[in-house]
Amino acid sequence: MYFQLTDGVELHIIKTSQFKSNQIVVNFGTPQTSANTTARSLLGDLLETSTHKYPTQTALARQLSQLYGADVGTGVGRIGTLHSVRLKARFINDRYSYDGLLDNVIDLIHEMLFNPLIDNESFDEPTFNLQRANLRSAIQSLDDDKQYYAETQLRKLYFDDDSIMQIPSFGRLADLDQLNAENLVPVYRQMITSDRINIVVLGDVDERHVVDRFKEFNFTPRPVADHDMMYHQDARPDVTQKDEIQAINQSKLNLAYQLPVYFNEPDYYAAVVMNGILGGTPLSKLFVNVREKESLAYYASSRYHSFSGMLSIQTGIQNTNYERARVLIGQQVEAVKAGEFTAELLREVKDSLINQFQASLDVAGNIAERQLISTLLDRPADDVVQKIEDVTATQVMHVASLLELQAIYYLNGDLTK
Amino acid sequence: MNEHHYAKYDETIYDQKLDNGLLVQVLPKRNFHKTYAILTVDFGSIDRTFIPVNGQELITVPDGVAHFLEHKMFEKIDHDAFDLFGELGADSNAFTSFTQTSYLFSTTQHVHESLDVLLDFVEQPYFSSQTVQKEKGIIGQEIKMYDDDPNWRLYFGMLGNLYPHDPMHIDIAGTVESIDQITADTLYSTYDSFYQPANMNLFIVGNVDPAETMEWIADNQKQKHFDQVTIPEVQFELNDETGQDVIPFRTLEMDVTRPKVMVGVRGLEPISAGQAGLKYRLGVELLLDILFDDTVDNYLRLYNNGIIDDSFSYNFEMQRGFHFAYFSSDTDHIERFADEIIGILESAQQQIEAAASQFNNIKRAVLGRMIALLDSPEAIANRYAGKLFGATNLLDEITVLESITIEDLYVIAREFIQSQGISVYQIVPRHSN
Repeated sequence: MYFQLTDGVELHIIKTSQFKSNQIVVNFGTPQTSANTTARSLLGDLLETSTHKYPTQTALARQLSQLYGADVGTGVGRIGTLHSVRLKARFINDRYSYDGLLDNVIDLIHEMLFNPLIDNESFDEPTFNLQRANLRSAIQSLDDDKQYYAETQLRKLYFDDDSIMQIPSFGRLADLDQLNAENLVPVYRQMITSDRINIVVLGDVDERHVVDRFKEFNFTPRPVADHDMMYHQDARPDVTQKDEIQAINQSKLNLAYQLPVYFNEPDYYAAVVMNGILGGTPLSKLFVNVREKESLAYYASSRYHSFSGMLSIQTGIQNTNYERARVLIGQQVEAVKAGEFTAELLREVKDSLINQFQASLDVAGNIAERQLISTLLDRPADDVVQKIEDVTATQVMHVASLLELQAIYYLNGDLTK
Repeated sequence: MNEHHYAKYDETIYDQKLDNGLLVQVLPKRNFHKTYAILTVDFGSIDRTFIPVNGQELITVPDGVAHFLEHKMFEKIDHDAFDLFGELGADSNAFTSFTQTSYLFSTTQHVHESLDVLLDFVEQPYFSSQTVQKEKGIIGQEIKMYDDDPNWRLYFGMLGNLYPHDPMHIDIAGTVESIDQITADTLYSTYDSFYQPANMNLFIVGNVDPAETMEWIADNQKQKHFDQVTIPEVQFELNDETGQDVIPFRTLEMDVTRPKVMVGVRGLEPISAGQAGLKYRLGVELLLDILFDDTVDNYLRLYNNGIIDDSFSYNFEMQRGFHFAYFSSDTDHIERFADEIIGILESAQQQIEAAASQFNNIKRAVLGRMIALLDSPEAIANRYAGKLFGATNLLDEITVLESITIEDLYVIAREFIQSQGISVYQIVPRHSN
C-alpha cells in the first residue's frame, strides 16, 4: 500500500505474514555535500542516544527492553550521491508479545525524531561531547581493519580529488572539530523539514491504522528537487598506482575499473552477470583461477558499484606473489572481455544470482530496502528473475569491453619493516 | 518421524533417527523461498587426541586437521562438490569450530538434488597427497589474514590466558607449521573415525514437505554402506581442572590505533549435560546482561566516564568440555576497564540485587530477540547444538528461558565467577622506532 503523507514524504506498507517480526525504515535523503556529511553522521548518533522523554541511554535502552527487545537505531549510508540518515526498527509482532507493541514502537520513533535532547537551541552538551569523541574513535579505529583500509585507499585513488565520493558517509575526522552542540541544531531542523523522507513498514500490520499513526507525525511539505543519484566522472587516460608498505602478514592488491553502466540503465543486469562471471560469485574466474587453481590468495573477488559506475577487485595475497597475481587478475578481465567463458558458467552464474535474489526475499530488511530504492528512483521494481535470464553472452562481452583500469593500490605486507 | 508442535509460535519440528544413526530434523517454512540445510559432524579443532577406529594406540593429530578436512571434503577425484552445488544454483559453504564441523547449502531450487550432493560429498571422502599439498597454501593465507586482525588476536590471546595448555588456545585452522605435517593418511584416519552417520546430524529449515524430505534422505542413506564402528571417545581432558594454570595477565604490542582490552572468565565447575546445560548457558547470559547490558546503571556509568564506548561487547561461549565469558572494548583507559569489570564480577551478588528491578525487563528483551530469530532459517539451524544440550532446538530454548528466575542467577553467579578463573589480555599500539 502506498500513501503520500505530504509533499516529499511517502509511506509504503508491505503487508505480509511471512515473518514473526515487523520492520520500519524511515529514510532521510538529501544530496551529499562536503559540508553536510559528518554533521549528519554525528546527528544520527545523537538521535539514537537520548530524547527528552528518555534523557539517558539507559532510559532509552530500558524502553527498548520493555518493547520485547525491539531494535531501534539510526545509521548513515549513501545511495549514489544521496546521503541518507536512516532510522530502522525491528520488533516482534503484537501476536507474540502484546496488543499495542507496534503502537508503542511508533510512539518511540516519533519521540526520537521529534523530541531530541535539544534545549535553548543546543543539544545536551555532555551527550554531544561524548558522542563526538566516540565517532572520532570509531573513525580512527577503522584503519585497523586492513581489508577495509585497502578499499578506502583504492577509492581515494579512483575518485576525483574534489569528488564527494572521497568522503565516506560516516564523515571525516577533520570536520569533527568544527561541529558543536549549537551548530548541529540547524542540521537537525534541516533534515526534519527539508529532506526527502521515505517510510517503509513491513509485516503483519493493519495498514489503515499504520497510515493514521504516521499522519499524526504531521510532517511539513517539502519540495522534491530533481537530483541525479548516479555519480559520473570522466575516465582518465592513465592508471594511477600507489604502493605502501606496512608491517603486516598479508598483502592486499586492489584494482578499480571504470564501468559506466548504471543501476537504472538497460545494461545493468548484463553488468551484474558480468561481475558474477569475473569475481562476484564463488564460481567466478577470479575465485577459481586466482584462489583455487594457483592458491595465490585467500580471497579474490570483484564488486560492481552500480550507482557510481565502478568495478573494484580485491585480493589478499603474499607479497612474493604480487607479480603473478597482478598478471593473473589482468588475464581474467581480458578473458571476460574476449568472451572466454563457457555457456555452462554463464548459466550457473545466472542461477546463482537468481537464487541469491529469491533468498533475499526471505529477509524483511532486504524487501524494505528494495522498496526504498525503487521509490527513490521512481521506477517500479523489475522482474529480476526474467531480467537476469535474458542476459546473453554477447551482452556480457559488451559491458566487459567498457571496463577501463583506472587505479591500483598495493598494500605490501612486510613483517621485516 | 516424530512431530513436535509449538502452538505458541506456530512452528512444527519433525525429527527422525535413521537406521544408520543419522539424526534428521526438519522445520518447514512454507511461505519462504529458501531452504537451508546444515550437516554437522560432532568433531572440531580441539578433538586431536583419540584412538582411531582402525588402531589400538592413542594418537595426537596435528592442530588444524578438522578445518583442513572441511576444506578438502569438497574436492573429489574428478569433480568439486562446490561445482555440483553451482550447477544446481545453490550456495554452499562450510565452517569449523572448536567442537563441530558443519557443511551447508542454501537454495531456492532443486532441494532434493542439493540434499543428495550434500550427503554424498560429506559421506564419500577422497584425499590425495597432491591436493593436500596445494591446500596448505590456501589455508596458510587464511591463517595469515587472521593474524593481522586485532580483534581475532585479542580473542585468541585471551584463550591463551584461560587455557594455556589446552587446544582451545590454538587457532581453529592450526598454524602454518602444524598444517605442514598433515598428510592424506592423517585425513583418512581422522575421517574414518569421526565422519560416521551416528556422529552427525542434519537440520533442514525452509520450503519443504517434511515427510517427502525424510524419504529423500532415507533413500540416499540406504544406497550407502557404513561399517558398524564405534565412534572413538575423544581424549579431551583439561590440563588443569582447577584453573591454577590460568595466566592472569598478558600484553601484546600491535599496529593498532587504540588500545584494546579483554577480561575473561573461565568457568571452573563441570556443567551438567542436556537441558540442564542449556539452562546454565541461558542463565549465565542473563547474568551477564543484568551486570552489564545497556539497561543497567553500571553501563551508563562506564560509558559516561569514557571507560567503554560503542565497541564494548561481552559474550558467553559454552562448548563440549569448556565454557568461558569475555568482555572487551577499545578504550584509552585499559587498566580502569579491567578493574571496573572485575570489580563488578566479583561483587555479582550485590550487583544482581541492585539491578533486580530490571530482571523481568531484561528477560523479556532476550525472549523477544529469540522470537525474532525464528525468522531466520540459518539462525534456527545453526543454533542447534546436538548432544551438548540434549538435542534441544531454538523453540525449546525459549521455553527454558522462560523458566529462569532471579534466584537462579545468584546460584549461577556463585558457581561461574571465581577469582581463579579471571584474566586480562590487552593490545596496545606499537611504539614506532
